[in-house]
Amino acid sequence: MSYDLVVGLETHVELLTKTKIFCGCKNSFGSEPNTNCCPICIGLPGTLPKLNREVVNFAIKAGLALNCKINLNSKMDRKNYVYPDLSKAYQISQFYTPICKNGYVELSSGKRIRIHQIHMEEDAGKLVHKSGDVYVDYNRGGVPLLEIVTEPDISSSEEAREYVEKLQMIMRYIGVSDCKMQEGSMRCDVNVSVKPEGSRVLGTRTEIKNMNSITFMTKAIDYEYKRHVAVIESGEKVVQQTLRYVESTNSTESMRSKEDAQDYRYFGDPDLVEINLDDLYIEQIRNTLPELPTNRFKRYTNKFGIPEKDALLIVKYKNVSDFFEAASAGLKNPKAVSNFIIGQIFRNIETETEREKFEILVSPKQLHELVKLIEDGKINMNLAKKTFSKMLESGKDVTDFISEDDMKGISDNEIEALCREAVSKNEAAAKDYLSGKEKAIKAILGYVMKATKGKGDALKIEKKLVEIINQ
Amino acid sequence: MISRDEMLNLANLSKLYLSEDEIEDAMKEMDGMIDFANQIKEMSPNSHETPNINGLSNALRDDEVIESYPQNKILENVNGGKDGYFYIKKYN
Repeated sequence: MSYDLVVGLETHVELLTKTKIFCGCKNSFGSEPNTNCCPICIGLPGTLPKLNREVVNFAIKAGLALNCKINLNSKMDRKNYVYPDLSKAYQISQFYTPICKNGYVELSSGKRIRIHQIHMEEDAGKLVHKSGDVYVDYNRGGVPLLEIVTEPDISSSEEAREYVEKLQMIMRYIGVSDCKMQEGSMRCDVNVSVKPEGSRVLGTRTEIKNMNSITFMTKAIDYEYKRHVAVIESGEKVVQQTLRYVESTNSTESMRSKEDAQDYRYFGDPDLVEINLDDLYIEQIRNTLPELPTNRFKRYTNKFGIPEKDALLIVKYKNVSDFFEAASAGLKNPKAVSNFIIGQIFRNIETETEREKFEILVSPKQLHELVKLIEDGKINMNLAKKTFSKMLESGKDVTDFISEDDMKGISDNEIEALCREAVSKNEAAAKDYLSGKEKAIKAILGYVMKATKGKGDALKIEKKLVEIINQ
Repeated sequence: MISRDEMLNLANLSKLYLSEDEIEDAMKEMDGMIDFANQIKEMSPNSHETPNINGLSNALRDDEVIESYPQNKILENVNGGKDGYFYIKKYN
């Protein structure tokens, strides 16, 4: 029997606010331990949390970008559990009225992964384990999080990968989170179950906690799928439990049993008042949203004719996409800009992190000028590529490498004369061409290109040569 | 009446260790608390709702940094901690 995989994801993203969710302490990664703390975020009794407006705004932005309905009335709840990373023994979260509901992320196949809800909450502190002892740093305690919960709509580890990558991309575009999985500013809890192919009844699920790498997440899903199937095939039942993924063995192991939902004893936090929004406020936030990556992708492929693979690479990194937008604005052929980015710029910056930062010496304006020269027929592609390499190394303008004289180009008459000369001097090659050896034309073309010092347009010249030979 | 298992679960959630005689007493006390909570529940149909009696909403704060406390002040109540951290000796 074959089995369907059913996956739902709960993704935590840390927000890029200046301060924490309920106090004015700095929200920053990598500070000395317990230096971004105050009585509110270390949970001392008698302190009063006050919600950061920017957290609400970011949550609304994220909700709109993920096609959610924004709840006009929402409030914070307490989730009770005792653990050293949570000094006040409850986490302030949202349970009864999350700020966003019912959205979706569309995959490239057109399939929609529904978002069940998005809620705001505070992050817990960080535990550092050293030889059995525990060291606690509350700098992260109170850092604002959004938890984005999908419906169990994901049916392969590849879909899970695409969903998380899309989510990451969207959050970065709208500027609410940097989603750095390696730094923990994006973490996924994965719910996995299997069911007989086509069945509508969901199987028992297991939850893999705190995945901080997309690759490991897909491996963990594949592992759990096989494990569930093996358990069922052997006539036993899958046990509902919380698991940890072990990278070294590519397998999962059971974690200490966690509380059930009722054990959290959720109730409305009496320290925090309701959040009441109106449509006007939400529309104002909608107006601040940038063009989303999915839209850009569609525009690049449909309107500019950029191949999907290339368009995806550009859209993936917001800085690259913004660079492309600035460089290609007003050009007849934006595709040329994408070719320079992928063919030449990306050759030198290969890692994800470098591409994300996209710190290069050439400005969008400088690339724009270069492509404009090609469009105006002032330089040919070969020369442009060579020049662009030099520009990338030095950060200098195109005019620093190509003189006015070079840019005059060559008149059609000159080209015709050169072509005739080339054909007469390469009679053998011309005959070969006529007898069907199409490649022979390249030798004659090379001759002309050399004579033009690379300024001629190779396509145009080849056409002319064919014309002359056939006369 | 709360069951012994429920009592033990509650103690476990709060990380409390109860000896045999304490379990009996705690169950009685818990029953009293539940009765009291039920009394309140009768007055408010949605027990999880805690509407703000002043009718306040949107008490929001601007995203502006306020200086945090010095590390030694934060760790003052735990005898200065260890290496800048709150320190917990090996636990289970």
